[in-house]
Amino acid sequence: MTAPSRGSSLAIYASAFVVGGVLMGFEMLGSRYLFPYFGGSIGTWASLISTVLCALAIGYFAGSAIVSLYPSQKTIGLFVLIAAAYLACVPATADPVMEKILSVLGDGPSATLTAATALLLVPLSLLGTFSPIAVSLLTRTAEDAGRVAGLVYGVSTIGNVAGTLFTTFTLIPAVGSRAITYIFAAVLAGCAGVLFLPLGNKI
Amino acid sequence: MDVRSVVFGALAGALVGIAAAFAQDSRNLLEQKESLYNNIYVYEQPPYVSMTFGHNRRIYTESVYNTRDDRDLPVEYTRFMTASLMYAKELHSILEIGFGGGRTSWYLHRYLPNVAVTSVELDPTVVELAKKYFGIKEEPNFRIANRDGRLFLSESKDKYDIILIDAYRGPFVPFHLLTREFYQIVKDHLADGGVVAQNVEPSTMLFDSAVKTINAVFPQLDFYRADGNIVTVAYDGAERKAEDLAGLARDRDKAFGLRYSLMEMLSQRRHIQIAGGTVIDPSAKVLTDDFAPVETLKNIERHNRKLP
Repeated sequence: MTAPSRGSSLAIYASAFVVGGVLMGFEMLGSRYLFPYFGGSIGTWASLISTVLCALAIGYFAGSAIVSLYPSQKTIGLFVLIAAAYLACVPATADPVMEKILSVLGDGPSATLTAATALLLVPLSLLGTFSPIAVSLLTRTAEDAGRVAGLVYGVSTIGNVAGTLFTTFTLIPAVGSRAITYIFAAVLAGCAGVLFLPLGNKI
Repeated sequence: MDVRSVVFGALAGALVGIAAAFAQDSRNLLEQKESLYNNIYVYEQPPYVSMTFGHNRRIYTESVYNTRDDRDLPVEYTRFMTASLMYAKELHSILEIGFGGGRTSWYLHRYLPNVAVTSVELDPTVVELAKKYFGIKEEPNFRIANRDGRLFLSESKDKYDIILIDAYRGPFVPFHLLTREFYQIVKDHLADGGVVAQNVEPSTMLFDSAVKTINAVFPQLDFYRADGNIVTVAYDGAERKAEDLAGLARDRDKAFGLRYSLMEMLSQRRHIQIAGGTVIDPSAKVLTDDFAPVETLKNIERHNRKLP
């Protein structure tokens, strides 16, 4: 295993925080996209939360499956960039998609799950691959694995908390949901850019 | 990455709240029930039965029922919700969004038995408890739909002469029932000459934004002040003249033998001009599906602006 440079490690940990933040921030935002169509019921929340957790599971499994094939910062950078592109498409397309789901499936669990899936599954699965690949990139020795995994998941979970609170108490009161989605897309794109930078990946 | 910690935090908070409710109560608790949306408490203080949500009874009382008199409306603002009767051109059907203990719609049903009254309530347990303790029963011309209010309207092809909105309950402010898009859907379901009446709590900045949002869709607004609440009556078209309203009020008071006289309510009417900025904060924003920070607005107290 090759050790990443200091700058590179820092970039990965910072990205773990940002990706974690956007992930939960976008879940909170999901309610603003779904409620006008499917109502503000507990079923809508259950659909959002379970879809996020499904996306994470998919991301973790996918990450663990491909990590030995493409163990590079560019891989996670690319996934984050695709997620950014997906988010950038959401504001313009969400309304027709939600309308279509409402008219075809009604408003029951199948509809709210489909809507949450359309909105969240692809970008959040991509973001979910971040942690396992990051752990692999940061790990130097086998004994190091647990320490690194704990750090990556800790940082990313603090990002989750920050994203949830910042979105709910600062962003939603200040700007519209569509604008917030664009902000998230831009932040992710910036994050991908940092990951693409040649920060001395190998010593 | 994990959301479980957040969920557990919220659960712990809710449990502390429930414990606090037990500690401070002196009235006779008939039943408490945890529903999909609320912690519902039904209290008895003869002859009244009341329903509250959450753990703060002072703020979250939803409905009060006089067990000896099912046409009594003990909560003042609910009487003013019926002021809408003197605005509607015709009276064939009434829709209520937010049923609670169902006092307003039951009153209307009892005095206007030939008018189809439909109520929409999101929480099935609220309806269950209303039937158990508040003398509510479904019968011809009195129907309750268990549905999200906006969803019900979006899917409905019916039009109504009066739409009553009293859906922000207890601690919950459903933002999708306070946006311009929502009021547009409401407008699309009003019959010709139809009218909307909404209960709005006026102590926070949410009031300014809510009124401005209603006004973005309905050009005419009348306020009726009840202790602690304002009933906003909104309609399309030109302003109704007081003498025309008086004509309808007199006719309908007589025709239906209404306990809460429309003529008396008419004397409390305040026609509102938003444009001057004296009543509603000019900086208040119209709420939309995209931008509706209802919880934040609800936390900002309203200062320095006189209510008429």
